[in-house]
Amino acid sequence: MFKGLLIGLMVIALPGLAQAADQLLYFEAQGIAGYSTLLEKPVYYSMNPDAEMQKPSIGFDYLKKFSGESGDWGTFALQYRLAGIFNGDDKRLEHQVYNAYFKVRTPGPYVWVGHNRPAFGLSSYFDSHGLILRTLAIQGFGYDRDWGVGLTRDFSWGDVAASLTTGTGMPAYLNGNYMSAGRVSYGVLSQDNYNIGLSLGYGNTMNTMGYNVIDPTPLQMRLAGVDMAYLRNNFEHRFEFLAGQWLGSDSYAFLYRIGMNLDPENRYKIEAQPTYWKTGNDTDFQMNLCFSAQMTSNLTLRLAYTNDRNTTENLFVLQLYFYMPVLR
Amino acid sequence: MKKYFLFLLAIIFCGTSAAWGAVGCDLNDPDRDVARLFPESTGYKTIYTSVVQKGGEKLLARIETRLGDKFHGLYETIDVPYTVYEIFKQKNKIGYIHGVNQKGQFGGIQVFLVLDLDGRIKGFYIQKMTSQYAGKLRDAKFGKQFVGLTLKDFEQYDVQTGKAAGKVEAIKNPAPEAEADFRSALRATKKNLILMDEFGFISKAPGQ
Repeated sequence: MFKGLLIGLMVIALPGLAQAADQLLYFEAQGIAGYSTLLEKPVYYSMNPDAEMQKPSIGFDYLKKFSGESGDWGTFALQYRLAGIFNGDDKRLEHQVYNAYFKVRTPGPYVWVGHNRPAFGLSSYFDSHGLILRTLAIQGFGYDRDWGVGLTRDFSWGDVAASLTTGTGMPAYLNGNYMSAGRVSYGVLSQDNYNIGLSLGYGNTMNTMGYNVIDPTPLQMRLAGVDMAYLRNNFEHRFEFLAGQWLGSDSYAFLYRIGMNLDPENRYKIEAQPTYWKTGNDTDFQMNLCFSAQMTSNLTLRLAYTNDRNTTENLFVLQLYFYMPVLR
Repeated sequence: MKKYFLFLLAIIFCGTSAAWGAVGCDLNDPDRDVARLFPESTGYKTIYTSVVQKGGEKLLARIETRLGDKFHGLYETIDVPYTVYEIFKQKNKIGYIHGVNQKGQFGGIQVFLVLDLDGRIKGFYIQKMTSQYAGKLRDAKFGKQFVGLTLKDFEQYDVQTGKAAGKVEAIKNPAPEAEADFRSALRATKKNLILMDEFGFISKAPGQ
């Protein structure tokens, strides 16, 4: 499968073929290094060596529009990374697929098939795949991407989305597991500077972390959530709350992220994010801070700090993130 | 494993001689926005282009001369990708929607123009703008002041001094507290029109 992806990309990147004005191909590379006071050693990940989140990697982001005589009718998207896992004696490479979907425009909603964002919470529209700060889905309460089908429809007052996915996240397994989700939101962020969403999720999902299956037995999911984004002057506010049953346990979780842009081009940004959750009898609280600096149009530096109350870990992470559109 | 890294690197750079900057300007929700901005449309086609692709340094110099200012900052590198939406009514092309990024008071703003095939402004739309006065600059009354204007009108606007003549001079700032964003919007409009002309989407600008 992965060789197929690579060969596909090679075909796209060959001279001449990439000149078409209906596609974009980005090259992505990142370096991650940090220090954990809990482990008392350097680390090379932003969250966990098994999680799909930031690790040293190279990859690509490809987008192609399909058009007929009367306009666009479809979009194909593929995001792939080859990530390095360097954790003590565990040294290996991991193939990662984020977006891998085909989206078709219909007279009603858009319909997508493949690996895309489930219609639940902040992650349903807020792309974190290059960021260090985590949404609740990335923290483990849901899936940032999942395999399946979905619908989206934009209205003048907001958006409606629904999805039916495998409930596995990065890997695709079928063992009686599924996740159905729906989200309705009010406000158009790009016009109104706010968006408030209500989400519902129902199914039996699998406990996974990155590509690792922690428990192959599907566990009950019954979640409701509310999320909000609000932009004003140079401040960005994002909030997310969910409650119900997740992986068979009574759970609730919330986060609040405040960001401040420091210059007229949004080159420099500082963010703070407290996150609290309870699942079963376990509770935890994390405080995250992040400073971002866009050094050039292609290179971003991020410096992040995470304090975990339960483990008392202080994690410092430096990320160099390179994202360069490539065309002949 | 090493071979995968080498393989990826090889194919990424195979035959590529130029790179695009990463700060593009797309409609956030093209279906919704195209229908709203171009009510008579039945479809649209997305086209990606850039200064580096269309002519490189020579083209950039010409654009800067016409703008009366240098391109600078993240939003105006030679490799910034521009997204042009060709608007269709059935199978007939009836116009364009094109947006540009521009430095604003509290961060980047995105100014979209709705153009007919002659490059005459049919609509004006500020997408991203987080200023507390954004509502006034997004108000339809403000946007209507741009309707009917062309690049020829904006050639009389000095983006460095903010001085204008003719029809552009008549455009009133609805939010005096946001003078910086108002001037950014005018600069973005002139830049937008010049780019559309230089990219060849406007076959013959009216009055020229």
